[in-house]
Amino acid sequence: MKKRLIFILSLVIVFSLLLASCTPAANVEEPVGEEPAVEEPAEEEPAAAGVDLDAADIAASLPRDETLYIAGLQWSALVGWNPYASTNNNAMGVSAGSSARVPIWETPYMYNMINGEEIPLLADGDYTWNDAMTEITFTIKEAAMWSDGTPVTADDVAYTWATNVKYETTAGVGYGEYIETVEALDPQTVVVKAKLDADGNAVNPLLVKAYISSEYVVQKAWTEALEERAGFDAAALKEDPAEDFVASGPYTKFYNDDQKVVFVRDDNYWGQDDSMWGSLPVPKYLAHTIYADNNAGFLALKAGEVDVSQQFNANVQDLWLVDGLPISTWMDDAPYGLTASLPTAYYNLKSFGLDNVAVRKAIAMAVDYDTIIANAMTNQSPTFAQVPRSVMNPTAGEQALYDQAAVADLQWVGSDIEGANALLDEAGIVDSDGDGWRDIDGQKLSYNAVCPNGWSDWQAAMEIVAAAGEEIGIEITTLYPEWGVYQTVFVDGEQTEYDIFMVWSDGAGPTQPWGRVRQIMSSEFAGTQGNWNGNWGGYVNPRIDEIIAEIPATADQARLIELYTEATEIYLTDIPSFSLMYRPDQFYTVNETVWTNYPAADDGRNIPPMNLLDGYSIAGLYGLELVP
Amino acid sequence: MLQAKRGMAVFSNCQSIGGAALKGYLKYFGGKLIWFLITLIFAFLLNFILPRLMPGDPVAIITQRVVQGMTSQTGIQKVYEEYATLFGTNRPMHEQFFLYVRNLFQGNLGTSFSQYPRPVADILKSSLGWTLALQLPAILVGWMIGNTLGALAAYVKKGFDKVLLPASIFLSNLPAFGMAVILLVIFGVQLKWFPTSGGYGFDMIPKFSWDFIKSVILHYQLPFWSIVTIAIGGQAIGMRSMSIYELNADYVKFARFLGIKDRKIIGYVFRNAMLPQITGLALSIGTMVGGALVAETIFSYPGLGSTILTAVMGQDYPMISAATLLITLMVLVTTFLIEILYGVIDPRIKAAQTD
Repeated sequence: MKKRLIFILSLVIVFSLLLASCTPAANVEEPVGEEPAVEEPAEEEPAAAGVDLDAADIAASLPRDETLYIAGLQWSALVGWNPYASTNNNAMGVSAGSSARVPIWETPYMYNMINGEEIPLLADGDYTWNDAMTEITFTIKEAAMWSDGTPVTADDVAYTWATNVKYETTAGVGYGEYIETVEALDPQTVVVKAKLDADGNAVNPLLVKAYISSEYVVQKAWTEALEERAGFDAAALKEDPAEDFVASGPYTKFYNDDQKVVFVRDDNYWGQDDSMWGSLPVPKYLAHTIYADNNAGFLALKAGEVDVSQQFNANVQDLWLVDGLPISTWMDDAPYGLTASLPTAYYNLKSFGLDNVAVRKAIAMAVDYDTIIANAMTNQSPTFAQVPRSVMNPTAGEQALYDQAAVADLQWVGSDIEGANALLDEAGIVDSDGDGWRDIDGQKLSYNAVCPNGWSDWQAAMEIVAAAGEEIGIEITTLYPEWGVYQTVFVDGEQTEYDIFMVWSDGAGPTQPWGRVRQIMSSEFAGTQGNWNGNWGGYVNPRIDEIIAEIPATADQARLIELYTEATEIYLTDIPSFSLMYRPDQFYTVNETVWTNYPAADDGRNIPPMNLLDGYSIAGLYGLELVP
Repeated sequence: MLQAKRGMAVFSNCQSIGGAALKGYLKYFGGKLIWFLITLIFAFLLNFILPRLMPGDPVAIITQRVVQGMTSQTGIQKVYEEYATLFGTNRPMHEQFFLYVRNLFQGNLGTSFSQYPRPVADILKSSLGWTLALQLPAILVGWMIGNTLGALAAYVKKGFDKVLLPASIFLSNLPAFGMAVILLVIFGVQLKWFPTSGGYGFDMIPKFSWDFIKSVILHYQLPFWSIVTIAIGGQAIGMRSMSIYELNADYVKFARFLGIKDRKIIGYVFRNAMLPQITGLALSIGTMVGGALVAETIFSYPGLGSTILTAVMGQDYPMISAATLLITLMVLVTTFLIEILYGVIDPRIKAAQTD
C-alpha cells in the first residue's frame, strides 16, 4: 500500500517537473504575438526611412560581427522617435544638448569636448559671426539628404526653429530668450539672428552659437505632416511617437521591445559622400539591451555581450589586470576616463553659521578628497593635487582659460585638519560650552549632509564630509532621502531642510566653462522656485554677475582669461560650494572581443569618449575594425 | 473527539446537495459577493489616494529629465507648468479622482508619467505576459512538488523526513534575493550554463523559430528555478505538519477501527491537510503580479515587477494605480473563488457562515 502511494506521489513529482520544462512554450507566445511589430518596420521602412528591408531580411539573431552593442544609456522601453519631444526615452537615438546624440537626427555642427571644436555635419564649413556678433551664418552641405532622398535645405533649419518656438518645445523655450529668428537666405544658407538687448547687443552670443551644435534639424515636409496629424496642437505634437519619421542620420529604427532597442544602418546615408565621412559607419546594427541595473550590464560586459559600456564600473582596471579580459578605457591608467564635470556640495547659506565664510572654508579644507576619489570613484577621477580646484573641468581647453599661478594660494587640496581648526579658532568660532562642538553665539554648529539614497559614490562622499566635520568640531550628520523627495527639496530656493547637499555640475559643451560659472554662482537663480539651473545655496555677489554678463560677449582671449581667473578667485574665496571629485560626462569602457580600434586618448584622432554616438564621438563608428 | 467530528463532517459532504442546501449556498455566495464589492471599493480608493500621498512631485522628476541643458529659468518653469496641466496634478485631488474613474469606465487606464506618452494599458500588456508565464508555472510547480514532498515526509518518515525537513527549512528561510544571486553566480557566471540576463538572447530578434524558442527556454530556467526552490521549502514544511497532524487525528484511528481501507483513509487525510495549502496557493496566485520583482531584477527578466518598481521610484501615479488595481482584483478574485470552492470542498465553512 505504502509503496503504491509513493509510486503515485513520485508520478506527481515527475509530472510537475515535466510541466516545468514545458512551460516556456507559454512564454514564447508573448514575443510571437509581438511578431507583427518586427514586420511592421520592415514594411514601413522603404517608404519612410529609406531602408530597403523585408521581413525575410530580419534574421532571428543579429550577426555578431555586424552589431555594436552599447550599454548604460537605455534603462527602460523606448517610447518614441519624435525629435520635438523630450520624453521619448529614446536614449540611444535621440538626445539633444551639449554633445547632441546624432545616429538618427543630425545637427549642423558636432561638438568635440576634447578641444571645444565645432565640426561641420549638416553644415558646410565653418560658421561666421557678423561684426556686431548678432548673427551667425552657415551653409548646408550640397550632399546632405533626408532618408526619403530629398535634400536637406536651409528652409528645413528655419522651419525646425519656427516649429520649436510655435509649439514651445524644450529647444524653443530654452533658446527663445536668446534667438530671435532662424532664416533661410537661399536653399543652402542659414542665418541665426540673436535676440538683442537694449544696447543692440546680442543677449547671449554663446547660447546662439550653442544652438547650432546642440539642436537637431528636422525635415519641413515631415514636420508639416506631423502638425497636421496633431491638429496643430502643441501637446498632441509632442506626444506623437513619430514612428514614420524621416531623418538624415546614418541609422534608423529596426526593432524595439521591453528588452532591447536595435537600429539598422541606412545604406543610402548621405554622409558616405566625400564631403562628409567618405564611407558608411562600420557596424550595420547598433543594439542596446535594456538591463535591470548596473550589475546586469557589468556581467554582460564581462561576458562580451556589450561592446561599449556607458556605466560606472567600479575598479574598472580589474577587468584587464585581474580578469585578463580584452577590455579597456579611454586611458590605460587612472583616472581611465576624460572627466568633465564637478559633482559639488552646496552650502545652504540660510543655515545658521554657513553664512560665515570661515565655517564654509574650514569644512571644505578638512574633507579628505583623496579618500573620496580612491573609494567612491575607485580612482576614476584625477585628484585635486593633479588638477587643482577651480570652476574649470580637467579638459585642456578649459584649464587654459585661467591663470593658475594667480589663484594657487587659494586652491586647497583637503585633509587639512590643522589649518581648518586654526582658521575657526582665529575667527573666534570655538567650543565655548565644552560639549565637544564649536558654537557661534552659544548655538552649536550642527548640519546635515544630504544626497539621494542609492547614489553610492555620492553617499560615500557625504560620509567623508561628515567625518571631516567631526575632526574640526562641527557636527555633520548624513541624510539620504529618496531621489523623488530630494529633487523636490533642493530645487526650492527657500528650503531650510538641507544644509550641505550634493548636485551635479555642467560637463563639457559649447557654452562652457561660462555655463558652469553661471551655474555655480549666478544670483539670477538664488532663492528661485523649481530651480534646476544652479546656485542652489543662494549665493549673491554683484561682481560675479557682472563677470557672467561680460564673458559671452568677450571675444578677446586675454580678457577672457582675466575674467575666468577673477571668477575662480571669487569662487575659491567665498566658497559658496565645493566640488568633491571630477567625473566623466559619459563613462566609457570598451570590450575588444569583437570590435577594435575604438577611440582612445593616445590615438591622435581626437575623437571624444562619448559612447560613439554623441557629437564628434560618432566619428568612432567609422573607424571600427573587426578583431581578426 | 473534535477531530473525529471534523473528519466525519468531511465524510458526509457528498450527501449535502439538497434543496435547502442550495438555498444556503446561494446565501453564502451572496454574502461573499457583497463583501467582495465593499473590499473592492475601498481598495480602489486606497489605490488612488495612497500613491498621491507619497512625498515628492512626479512632475518635477519629468521636468528635470526634460530641461537638461536648458538655462532659461522662465523656460523651465513653463515646462513644469505644461506637464502639471497635462497630467492634471495641479488640480484638486477629488477632481483628479473623478477624472480617473471616468477614464477607467471608458477602459482608459491613463498615460504613464515615467514612460510618457506610453499608455499604461500598453505597458501592462507588454509585461504582464512575461510575468504570468514565469510566475504561474513556477508557483504551481513549487506548490505541487512542495506538497508532494511534504506529504511524503509525513507518510514515509524515516530517512526521507530527516533529509527533507532540514533542507526545506533551509530553503524556505533563504531570501528569494539570496537564492537568485546564488543561482546566478553558480550557473550563470561560473558554470556559464545559463545566460545571466534577459528573456531571450541578447543577439536575438523575436521570431517564431526553433533558435528563438530554445533561447527563451534557456533564459527561463534560472528565474524559474529561483522561484520554485524557494516555494518548495515553505510548502513542504506546511504540508508535512498538516499531514502529521491529520494522520494522528482521532478520526483516522476511528476509521482504522472501523476497518476502512488504508487507501481511503489516506485520501481523507490529505484532503483535510490540503485545505490551508489551497488558501496559500490562491494567495500566491493573487499576489504573483507584484511578486516576481526579485527574479526580474536579478536576471533583468521582463515583467511587471520591475515595471512597478520603476513606477514607484518615478512616482508614476497612473501606473502605480493600475498595477495595484490589477493586484487587488487578482487577490480578490482568487480569494473569492477559493471561498466559493471551500463551500463545496468543506461544508463546515459554508455551514458556519450561513448559520
